[in-house]
Amino acid sequence: MARIEVLSDITGTVWKVLVKPGDKVVEDDSLLIVESMKMEIPLTAPEDAVVKEVRIGEGDAIAEGEIAIVLEA
Amino acid sequence: MAFEEVLSELRRRREKALAMGGEERLARRRAEGSLNARERLELLLDRDTFHESGLLATSYRPEVRHRTPADGKITGFGRIEGRPVAVVSNDFTVLGASSSVVNGKKIKHVRQVANESGMPLVLLGESAGARMPDRMGAAGRGILGQDPTEYLRDRRTPWVSALLGSCYGSSTWYACLSDFVVMRKGATMAVASKLVTELAIKQAVDAEELGGWKLHTATTGLVDVAVDTDREALEVVRRFLSYLPSHNGEPPPVAPVPPGSDDAIADILDVVPESRAKTYDARDVVLRVLDRDSLFEMKPRFGKSLVTALGRLDGRTIGVIASNPKFKGGSIDADACAKATSFLVFCDSFNIPIVFLVDQPGFLIGIEGEKRGAPGRIMNWMNAMSLVTVPRVAITLRKNYGQAYLNMGGGRNSDEGAAWPSADYGFMDPATGVNVLHGLREEDDPERFKKLMAEIQQDSAPWGLAEIYEAKTVIEPRETREYLKQILAVHSRRPTNGVGMHRLAVWPTSF
Repeated sequence: MARIEVLSDITGTVWKVLVKPGDKVVEDDSLLIVESMKMEIPLTAPEDAVVKEVRIGEGDAIAEGEIAIVLEA
Repeated sequence: MAFEEVLSELRRRREKALAMGGEERLARRRAEGSLNARERLELLLDRDTFHESGLLATSYRPEVRHRTPADGKITGFGRIEGRPVAVVSNDFTVLGASSSVVNGKKIKHVRQVANESGMPLVLLGESAGARMPDRMGAAGRGILGQDPTEYLRDRRTPWVSALLGSCYGSSTWYACLSDFVVMRKGATMAVASKLVTELAIKQAVDAEELGGWKLHTATTGLVDVAVDTDREALEVVRRFLSYLPSHNGEPPPVAPVPPGSDDAIADILDVVPESRAKTYDARDVVLRVLDRDSLFEMKPRFGKSLVTALGRLDGRTIGVIASNPKFKGGSIDADACAKATSFLVFCDSFNIPIVFLVDQPGFLIGIEGEKRGAPGRIMNWMNAMSLVTVPRVAITLRKNYGQAYLNMGGGRNSDEGAAWPSADYGFMDPATGVNVLHGLREEDDPERFKKLMAEIQQDSAPWGLAEIYEAKTVIEPRETREYLKQILAVHSRRPTNGVGMHRLAVWPTSF
């Protein structure tokens, strides 16, 4: 099992978290939505996997490169 | 019988060559589930069309001549969907398909014939790198580099690579020079093998990490797509070539339009949200514009805020560069810049008209991009844009901000510019514009903020652009497919039959 750290690709505020540990996701599924640049931008799964950890909560500030979600594939 | 002795000698030599690296090695591959080099050619080419060149070639070195059938690289000519192609299929069962003097001559020959006679070159990669002892020592240097155009890529005909095993040396170099690369998951592509790398840097490396499909489809962008099996990879090669001309002197082939192709656009207003704050997946738009089932995405896992795809419109091949708000809100990062530039170069080289579907908030700004040289890549793209001679049409769906307006075909950077009524032009998002222009934050004075934003927004609507004839037309979103059919027919470059000037033909393959 490979551990995949999903890093935020933008800086902003976490608006919605769409997954919880144990959820199965497929590549390009939205995991959470970040408000940035006046937009609601999804952070997506880089590949098919299972959600292991959710590191952030709704309303949290998040920076580019920060680990938001940990997946296992 | 006359000639009996020589005929039997010919038969014996042919049989020996066709036995490849021997039953034991071939059986091992079968057990692993990988096809051998000749089986791959059978699947790639139309039935019974393979004409082999160099079946009886072997290593020139006496000590290995008896065990180097076809010298490890099977070369020749065949047909795909009736059109001629040149092929190289690496036979890993023969000294790891390592590069030698004689098989280097074989590749050179088919490459030259492909160029001169106008046919694509398909390379089925799986090779160990340079053959020792051929390339050892000073004498080895005397063999290398005798063809100064060995690695020249001048895009006279399409080149396609499939990476189907361990790829080092020539399989890697040719993949990096190709227009399209497909990789079988489990294959690797790297400068040097895991073993050589570990010996050289005295550190354990993981082959997948060193050159696996995830690295090359998502991080380096050197591979377009990854598939599960050899069979799928060869199918993808055939499909890719169906969009392309055989050479740069002709337009791409025209395909029949599947019934129902005009229907999918009907629900486009449900796909793209009216609120510019909300995102959607651009591929859902692109496939509604194209002929049914004709979307062929290139580099889908790399620089995702832009989609680059081949497709057909009214049976004719087009290239689409579409902002994808689903990723990074459609803001264009350094990878997306490189992806767009290489796609422009590719389309221009093979007479493929380009359609921009624009919905982007600007280039992605921030320290990460600057470290990666984002400004250089943005200008590299503009430089390429300035040299394009195929028809270009740019449609603004929603946002179209900043310098990226020009990169995405704004102004004279396309032959036609059109807008949806929802288009919004400007240097930046109107809300951010109020922040920057008036130094006002929404929370400080919501009433005044709203008023100023309405003013800016009014100025940024498409009507102004239509009035000064910069947007040639404003189209209803559901008219997009019909508009593109008509306008591409208008810009069909009749005097040259759609064949461009190919000023990007020697543009680098990586940058």
